[in-house]
Amino acid sequence: MNVSHHRPRTIKIALAAAVAAVLLAGTACSSKADGDDADGGADGVKAGPGVSAGTIKLGALTDLTGPYATLGKSIVQAQQMWADEVNAQGGICDRKVQIVVKDHGYDVQKAVTAYADISSDVVALPQVIGSPVVSALLDDIQRDTMLTFPQAWAASLLGKDAVQVLGTTYDLDMIAAVDFLTRTKKVAEGDTIGHVYFEGDYGANALEGSQWAAKKAGLKVAGQKIKATDTDLSAQVSALRKAGVKAVLISAGPAQTASLAGVAASRGLTVPIVSSAPGYAPQLMKTPAAKALEAMVHVVSAAPAVSSDLPGVKKMVASYGKKYPGSPVDSGVLSGYNAAQLLGADLKKACESGSLTREAVVKAHRSQTNADTGLGTPQDFSDVSRPASRSTYVLKPDAKAVGGIVNVEEAHEAPGIEEYLSSRG
Amino acid sequence: MTGLIDSLFNGLALGSVYALIALGFVTIFKASGVLSFAHGSLLLLGGYLIAVLHDELGFAGALALAVLVTAAVAGLVDRVVLQRIGADPHAAHVATIATIGIDIVLVTDLARRIGGDLLTLGDPWGDAVTDLGPATVADSRIAAITVSALAIGGAFALFRFTPWGLSLRAAAEDAEAAALMGVRLTRVRMLAWCLAGALAALAAVFLAAFPAPGLERTTGQIALKAFPAAILGGMASPVGALVGSMVIGLTEAFTAGYQSDLHVLGEGFGDVAPYAVMVLVLLVRPAGLFAAKGAARV
Repeated sequence: MNVSHHRPRTIKIALAAAVAAVLLAGTACSSKADGDDADGGADGVKAGPGVSAGTIKLGALTDLTGPYATLGKSIVQAQQMWADEVNAQGGICDRKVQIVVKDHGYDVQKAVTAYADISSDVVALPQVIGSPVVSALLDDIQRDTMLTFPQAWAASLLGKDAVQVLGTTYDLDMIAAVDFLTRTKKVAEGDTIGHVYFEGDYGANALEGSQWAAKKAGLKVAGQKIKATDTDLSAQVSALRKAGVKAVLISAGPAQTASLAGVAASRGLTVPIVSSAPGYAPQLMKTPAAKALEAMVHVVSAAPAVSSDLPGVKKMVASYGKKYPGSPVDSGVLSGYNAAQLLGADLKKACESGSLTREAVVKAHRSQTNADTGLGTPQDFSDVSRPASRSTYVLKPDAKAVGGIVNVEEAHEAPGIEEYLSSRG
Repeated sequence: MTGLIDSLFNGLALGSVYALIALGFVTIFKASGVLSFAHGSLLLLGGYLIAVLHDELGFAGALALAVLVTAAVAGLVDRVVLQRIGADPHAAHVATIATIGIDIVLVTDLARRIGGDLLTLGDPWGDAVTDLGPATVADSRIAAITVSALAIGGAFALFRFTPWGLSLRAAAEDAEAAALMGVRLTRVRMLAWCLAGALAALAAVFLAAFPAPGLERTTGQIALKAFPAAILGGMASPVGALVGSMVIGLTEAFTAGYQSDLHVLGEGFGDVAPYAVMVLVLLVRPAGLFAAKGAARV
């Protein structure tokens, strides 16, 4: 009796196993094929996945349909512009550069599928949007030695050979923010400062920085944790006012910065506000909070304002405006173009060393101790456990400027950063 | 003291906006037995329409048109999709699931249109504020409380004094008997959806107005906060929805305003608080604060 019950199931399991085996064999074959044709180009440069005799393929896991669609579009367009410029000058290593763009809509599952889809065909990822996406892919990226520039700046992403956080991390930005407040006498020892921050890696890392710097400066931090869906910060402002804060730090999204500034101004809590770089977008200059933002807010960022006088930035803004008329020039354009240029430099260096395998690209990247694209401060990629840059700019919203923001302070390293990094080990 | 009054006003304003949404949930539930998960997307639709129309029609014109269109879309969703599923209790469950699908379709399309933008609705209050004793209150908040009170009062008058209201209450009591007495269930039901849609569009104005920076693709998700309000009031009671909304609004405002004093409960307790209150109330009164008396469950 039992046997007759079990047989159908056994057959089913066997069938499922057979199907799985065929599928596995299929994927194994395809990845093997990709690896095979990659060895040794006609010019003697050793090739790997994503590199053929005529092209170098790069991948972008971006968000074109989700919450960061505006940012995604800016980065995709900026990096495409870079690829076109490079190809017009003969490409890299006598190969044309091609960027394979995959939209994940800020959905981790889709991103994982997209990565599996393109990972065997590309040599590096100059764009991955979304902290949760990056976290989900970390192991795969490490295993594939796929040089990746995530559009996320949490310190937890440091220490991975193949992953490069560009510029400063969120904690360093907030140390610089506290330094800005004390140096410009906006707060004094014994004062309390507020810190409104998102739950998750971004906010947690930023809070680490502000708490360390506040302790150092003899300040107290009143924290207010919020979620991405909180866009009315009235209650938080009430609480901050009750705590008697003399200044407020915010590490959230643009909508939250706008609400914070607008509500604080209307309630007479006219204290300085310093935001992390992702907390500002030029679209805010069209909201009712624009005046309050201009009057109260500063932004700390590893990248200069797009309205900056740096020749490299000016040139890029001009070409971008010509190529994509009507598209806003925001910080995403700058960071995307910068990332692509840095990767271009890595690829050139790897080519000179005679190999374009992924391992060689990562090695070339880690040998850059003074990578300067002319779009901000030089970066040092040699120490995998340390941020690539420690210098930050202080910016200020300005409705009339390109990108809605202007430089207030040029890039400099805030005092205490070295001590902070050493203490963290 | 200032903190207390601030929190009180924040809570009342939040509560009155939640009440607009929760009243929609309750009206739909009373009329059709359906728990509408599409409410957030209807709210977003209303807000989006105001945002794109206010330049041409002015704020009042855009608001009027948006309320009408959202009401019509809600009515159509019910008439064309949900009523076809049937009217027995099982069908109500199926229809509830169907609203999730409708929500996804609507939200996806609206999110595509809105993109990463923050849309302003062109409301007349801007960032103006009024001093009320020691507290400063945004004019948009005062407007939210006033308009919600009027709209909710109007809805209650509809329930109580109009033939439709009578039909609605009769149908909610016993659909079969009401139908035998000549109540046109399909029409009563569709009008209930229309009313809920109109209230949602109105709520969108205040969710996007000043203390918030504008309408975002995620604004509709805020409607979900009105769920605990409707549930803790008792799903089928308009008065319950009103009281529930105030409880949730005040809870949220006070937990956020006094976050530092509630440190023992962990950071960000304000987000969980509405649901914690809902669970507590349901533990004591499993059918909600204002559940219909004698709702026999056999």
